[in-house]
Amino acid sequence: MIFDSDWLTGYLDGTPDLDTLAKRLTDCGCLVELREKGDGAEKWDVEVTTNRPDAMNHRGLAREAAVAVGGQLRPLDFELSECDEDATELATIEIADPALCSRYVARVIRGVSVGPSPGWMQRRLLNCGVRPVNVVVDATNYVLLELGQPLHAFDLDLVRGRRIIVRPAKAGEKLTTLDGEKRELDSSMLMIADGEGVVALAGIMGGADSEINDDTTDVLLESAHFDALSVRRTARRLGMHTEASHRFERGTDPEMTATACDRAAALIAELGGGRVCRGRIDVYPRRWEPQQMEFSVAALSAFVGLEITPERVVEILEGLEFFPELEGDQIQVNVPPYRVDIDRLPDLYEEVIRHVGYDAVPSQLPVLPTTPGHRNPNWELIDRARDAAVAAGLNEVMTWSFIDPETDELVGSQSLCPGEPLALDNPLAATQGVMRRSLLPGLLSAAQTNLNQGERTLGFFEQGRVFDLDDAGPHEHERLGIVLLDESGDAETRFLRLKGVIECVCEKIGLPALEWKRGGEPWFAEETGAILETSDGTPVGMAGLVSRDIAARWDLGPDVLIAELDIDTATEPALPRYEALARFPSVVMDMTVEHEEGLNYAKLESATRDLAGEWVEDLSYVTRFPLPDESGRVRTTQRLVYRHPDRSLTQEEVNTEHSNLREGLAERLGVTFA
Amino acid sequence: MSTARLDEVRAAFLADLEKAGSDAEAVEKVRVSYAGKKSGVLNELAAGLRELPSEEKRAYGQALNELKTLIKTELGNVRVETHRATVTAGIRAVDVTLPGTPVARGAQHPVHIVRRRIEEIFLRMGYDVEAGPEVEDDWHNFEALNIPPDHPARDDQDTFYLPQGYLLRTHTSPVQARVMESRKPPIRIVVPGRVYRRDSDLRHSPMFHQIEGLLVDEGITVGHLKATLETFLHALFSDDVEVRLRPGYFPFTEPSAEVDISCIFCDQKGCGVCSGSGWIEILGSGMVDPRVFEAVGVDSDRYTGFAFGLGLDRIAMLVYGIPDLRQLFAGDQRLTRQFA
Repeated sequence: MIFDSDWLTGYLDGTPDLDTLAKRLTDCGCLVELREKGDGAEKWDVEVTTNRPDAMNHRGLAREAAVAVGGQLRPLDFELSECDEDATELATIEIADPALCSRYVARVIRGVSVGPSPGWMQRRLLNCGVRPVNVVVDATNYVLLELGQPLHAFDLDLVRGRRIIVRPAKAGEKLTTLDGEKRELDSSMLMIADGEGVVALAGIMGGADSEINDDTTDVLLESAHFDALSVRRTARRLGMHTEASHRFERGTDPEMTATACDRAAALIAELGGGRVCRGRIDVYPRRWEPQQMEFSVAALSAFVGLEITPERVVEILEGLEFFPELEGDQIQVNVPPYRVDIDRLPDLYEEVIRHVGYDAVPSQLPVLPTTPGHRNPNWELIDRARDAAVAAGLNEVMTWSFIDPETDELVGSQSLCPGEPLALDNPLAATQGVMRRSLLPGLLSAAQTNLNQGERTLGFFEQGRVFDLDDAGPHEHERLGIVLLDESGDAETRFLRLKGVIECVCEKIGLPALEWKRGGEPWFAEETGAILETSDGTPVGMAGLVSRDIAARWDLGPDVLIAELDIDTATEPALPRYEALARFPSVVMDMTVEHEEGLNYAKLESATRDLAGEWVEDLSYVTRFPLPDESGRVRTTQRLVYRHPDRSLTQEEVNTEHSNLREGLAERLGVTFA
Repeated sequence: MSTARLDEVRAAFLADLEKAGSDAEAVEKVRVSYAGKKSGVLNELAAGLRELPSEEKRAYGQALNELKTLIKTELGNVRVETHRATVTAGIRAVDVTLPGTPVARGAQHPVHIVRRRIEEIFLRMGYDVEAGPEVEDDWHNFEALNIPPDHPARDDQDTFYLPQGYLLRTHTSPVQARVMESRKPPIRIVVPGRVYRRDSDLRHSPMFHQIEGLLVDEGITVGHLKATLETFLHALFSDDVEVRLRPGYFPFTEPSAEVDISCIFCDQKGCGVCSGSGWIEILGSGMVDPRVFEAVGVDSDRYTGFAFGLGLDRIAMLVYGIPDLRQLFAGDQRLTRQFA
């Protein structure tokens, strides 16, 4: 809120310079964010926290300032002279729902000539960002900024029947508010009605029909206390936010209504040339009940960790008008009616701490048992995945958790995401309408971004959550997604490069051995994609070269490799166990098998392992190439390492073993040897 | 034969060797003509020994041996050199100033680098690192934290809502509530994680990251909070950094404090980062409101505690000088590569 520095200091006795004042206010919790030159004063933008509506006005902030600088708050000084005419004869007020309006105070000012307000008032209003309108409206705004009490002025002649009724609206009632908007009301909204219909939205805005105008002579001034929640709900439902609703929503002072009404009436009469009728019309069905609290200074000191003297506590609470009474170690206070935030002892402690200052509190580290800290297993898992991907040379990126529902439909057609999409009720944009069920759409967009930036090769990953929904509710799964682009080599070479990264990462994350099966459409073309499954057939990943459709959709070349792994099932890898280092030499033999293209390597390898004798220590893939003829046959070379644990093997022994293996393979798989 | 003959041979040998230079073939010819087993000069000279009178034999033999040693040593030296010349013939000298072959290096996202640094500081102080769901219910995200429905504080945390009464958590604080519901004090935890608010402009992103701390035990004081934050911020930035607590407001702490550090860029002289104020707002904190304890079943008469929270993205931007929040979520590998 913007304050006028001259207005503020006018309430203070013994005011220090503005720099000191601004600093002290900041120190006690009213952050002076910005100081600007205004008309005849500085304009201060002060951040008053939502729980402190009492300081959202000049007098309230001055009360804080007085305590903060050790000065005195001057009494509010104004004179109100009334004429003989009895206000209660001129209008009646009725509160139909005291739960929503605990008090309604009104005054009548007659014979007003509605002209502009004087320069000093306009300057202050303008410094605070309020546009001057006329003397009546300006006086109500002035008192709002001065005392925090929202007021409303009606043209008494336009209040039909000279009756004010505070009641919930009837369904279908309409009101054109001061801003010219026609608003449809419902029964949850509190209204001000006159003898015939609605004239104002309680606590939010007046109606255009009873507005102060150039012909107004008699003014009915409203100063009421409305229920915070009711005003807030109505304002939200109507999409409105006004100076009045801002304060009512946060809580106003029911006891201030009378003073504020008097103050505004006096200003209007003084500046607008009218006369204030005798007496207030004051309907107060639910009186404010004073709240007393009691606390021990020793307990306060223990809570803060600083010895604070009872005298200092009393001084602070006196300044804040809590009327403290000290008896021994106990202090009893009366919570002022404007302090809607004070309810529990810590609330009260805060008042003292704010003004003692955090600077005065000695730093003291807490002492707790010396147990080591543990990381939640979920963090262990995802950081293991992150580290593994980084070790594989990939760079981490982050993309949005919400994606386009149209893209999500693609995701739904593959098997990693069993549940329904989780759609946002109120997305920022339609293209961010659902929570992602896969990292791939975000990663493909990232691939596109990077290529557009002129990157020639891609090597990045994302670790993050995906979301879905089923009958049991929403679920979150940790995923790892990978993008690779490196144009060298044929499709198989490039696929195997991605597979190598995935195998390395899976091992480090602690995923079980996975079976690679052709699949993964529509992300991959049939020939170049794979689904990764655990031994019981649960799909936990997919990898491959993007399909033509996907490449086109994201405007990519066909060479981009993508992969996604569900890492929830990973378990921390066991500690490695030492194996005795070999003491005798090995014999390495390559074996080239000629076979039909349809025989995949997994089958060949498993048969080789099965048939290999006990001396085969290691088996690895070397290369594969198709025969140049039209036979459609291919040759695959495997390398076998023979070793005996206790002695050197002779070449003859190995040759015998090796040829037995070849015969076995020929018999089992029908393969031949080159 | 006489020792004079030996001197002649010696001079001739040295001359021939000199002439041969580093030509391996020429050197070999020299070797054969002097030290060759069949027709070498040394054989001839050795044979000459027999013809000498016995009184001259001794001096001649000694001189001959010296000559032999000389010839062998010189030949040896020259042959090593000529060999080296042969081996290195055709090899260019290495330009040692050429750049090394790049090794594939990966890097973590700067937000995660910062997160792990902060986790590490608190782990060393005995805090546990906790996790919780990003899809939350209203109770844990708001009500348990003393933010009832229609509370004005909900305005500051514009929320994405989901079906069945779920929402995207607007802060990491719901994990506080979850941990206190399931565990007895003493509790000391930090909770990093992704959070969401329905807000998007230059300084706000609808998705960002926070880390939250909570400590609950008997007799925890405001002084404990202050010392903990100072210790943490000194470890994160530097021991020279000044820490300032200002009164603030959060619904779930009472009293609350906003925490600033002295500007690490301008030494508090005033710069763009601190908007000329000399201070950078870094986190929010306070003593846990007893209403929160009561909501999650912690005895508020017996226990007190403190909580604090900070934005990881903001810290990463500050520490690394990244100007635009949205760059963090653009998926641009050029950003991360800078952290390899």
